[in-house]
Amino acid sequence: MDFSTLRSLAAGNAWGSVWPELSLGCLALFLLVLETGLPRSMHARIPVVSIAGQLGILGVLLLNFDTPYRATFNGLLMLSPQGQLMRVFFLISSILVSLLARRSLPWQRVPRVEFHHIVLVVAAAMMLLVESRNFVMLFVALETVTVGLYILVSYYRSNPKTLEAGLKYLVMGALSSALLLFGIVLLYGVAGSPALSGRTLEAMQYGGLRGFLEANPDNFLAAAGIVLVLSGVAFKIGAFPFQIWIPDVYQGAPTPVTAFLAVASKAAGFIVLLVLVTEVFAPYDWLVGPVLTLMAAATILFGNLAALKQNNVKRLIGLSGVSHAGFILLAVVSVSREPMAVGAVYFYLYAYLIASFAVFGVMTVLAGPDDSEQELGDYAGLARESPFLAGVLACGLGSLAGIPPFAGFMAKLLVFVIAFKAGHFGLLGVAVAGVVVSVYYYFGWIRTAYFSDEAAISPKTAERARAGAGLTLGIALAALTLGSIVLGFYQGPLGNWLAGH
Amino acid sequence: MTPSLDAYVMLSSALFAIGFLGVLVRRNTLVIFMCLELMLVAATLALVAFSRFNGTEDGDVFVFFILTVAAAEVAVGLAIIVALFRLRQTIQVDRLNSMRH
Repeated sequence: MDFSTLRSLAAGNAWGSVWPELSLGCLALFLLVLETGLPRSMHARIPVVSIAGQLGILGVLLLNFDTPYRATFNGLLMLSPQGQLMRVFFLISSILVSLLARRSLPWQRVPRVEFHHIVLVVAAAMMLLVESRNFVMLFVALETVTVGLYILVSYYRSNPKTLEAGLKYLVMGALSSALLLFGIVLLYGVAGSPALSGRTLEAMQYGGLRGFLEANPDNFLAAAGIVLVLSGVAFKIGAFPFQIWIPDVYQGAPTPVTAFLAVASKAAGFIVLLVLVTEVFAPYDWLVGPVLTLMAAATILFGNLAALKQNNVKRLIGLSGVSHAGFILLAVVSVSREPMAVGAVYFYLYAYLIASFAVFGVMTVLAGPDDSEQELGDYAGLARESPFLAGVLACGLGSLAGIPPFAGFMAKLLVFVIAFKAGHFGLLGVAVAGVVVSVYYYFGWIRTAYFSDEAAISPKTAERARAGAGLTLGIALAALTLGSIVLGFYQGPLGNWLAGH
Repeated sequence: MTPSLDAYVMLSSALFAIGFLGVLVRRNTLVIFMCLELMLVAATLALVAFSRFNGTEDGDVFVFFILTVAAAEVAVGLAIIVALFRLRQTIQVDRLNSMRH
């Protein structure tokens, strides 16, 4: 065996360029060290260390934001400005999840430090996931995310509903991973076949596979592989018909984890889908286009109609999240005819992040010890008990519904303009109908909080509402609300930046 | 006589289909879990066969990653199933529907 070739291969590994992932991993390990090293009375401080560490990483990341396009680790990873944007996205979500967990975990008899540890590991794996340009890397990063989320979803292990949600997420997650894996294997096998023209020796590499697909634009096995890979990803983003797990898992999971699933996990799935559609499966647009178009229409319709008759707010927000997945799919469908759609996807994800976490923050503050039972009725008369929480809730829901002047309105407008330019008129009609339906149930929630006559709010919920969010979480919620409004008026450098790429 | 590539692909596709149907049809959580592992193993078999017949090596390397991932998944999955059984005294999926509204 010749070691000099291995050495020359390893020389190209730019370890310094993956420092955010590495430091998140080290921070995660450091938390465990602190837990064994510190006396029990100091353990309540460990989540603060986690949040401070993440804020530090976020600060350094924002200072070193500019990165040129650069492939490293022999093409396993691709560093890009979009990758930087998603690193910031996942860091913000993991910081907010840690903040919510700091509020939510003390009500349960569960270990706390491990929760923060796993959140950090999952966030790092999500960063690697959106940067990967190789199917082996994709699979390993995806599984790190998924296995971590299995643990987080079933974290409140004394609650049977949480464990039931964990089991359902486990079965569905493993099923989708297996579909994705078999798709990858089929693509790998057919792309490396010596009998076909354009065969590649690097079939696991996105670039190599793209070359093969261009040379054979109508291979049956490759088409089957592509459909399987798309199904696997559709499970992660909760697109119809793979959305069946969403209501139960969202309801049973701890509220901070529901937020993590709804925002970060979904965003990671969408970026993977976007990269696959634009960089790898482009020669098979005859197949991918119609499949995603049908999926987008069905997802928007199903999400909105199913959310209409929900009383549990976690199920409601989960099913409305399905419809948001449909709107983002609309942008992904348009990407082959209108390259601006890439920017629209990123903007939509950010608007969704800000609005969702505002709503999830209020939900976490109001949720009692039984985390899975949060009904719409619990919010009746919230505005009387806590005008601040009701305001945050109204702004978050308004942004999710897509009402001007909030960021959600600009995001939806951007997606619709791009779909119009790309000529998807039928899909656009479905999407507009979906928005109308969604306004109905989002405003039903706001109406309950503001204009409910009877004092249906239970004394304990009222007590929690009066106690408020606390200083740190309160500042975070105020910042999210402000962000929703500012981003709706002024996209500024972010908008130019997105249009430029 | 060595079996052809087609035979391997047929076998792994059949195993994958059996696993997939098992996940959809069976009611016992442990059996469902075994069917999930069967799907992963079917993919591994196809991967090794493709790698051997195509003469590319990265498929063989991928197998190690799949094995590791499957082991992690089983460790977490069995823990969840055991914890659920302790609370509910059942692992039949049709009785795990406390969240239907």
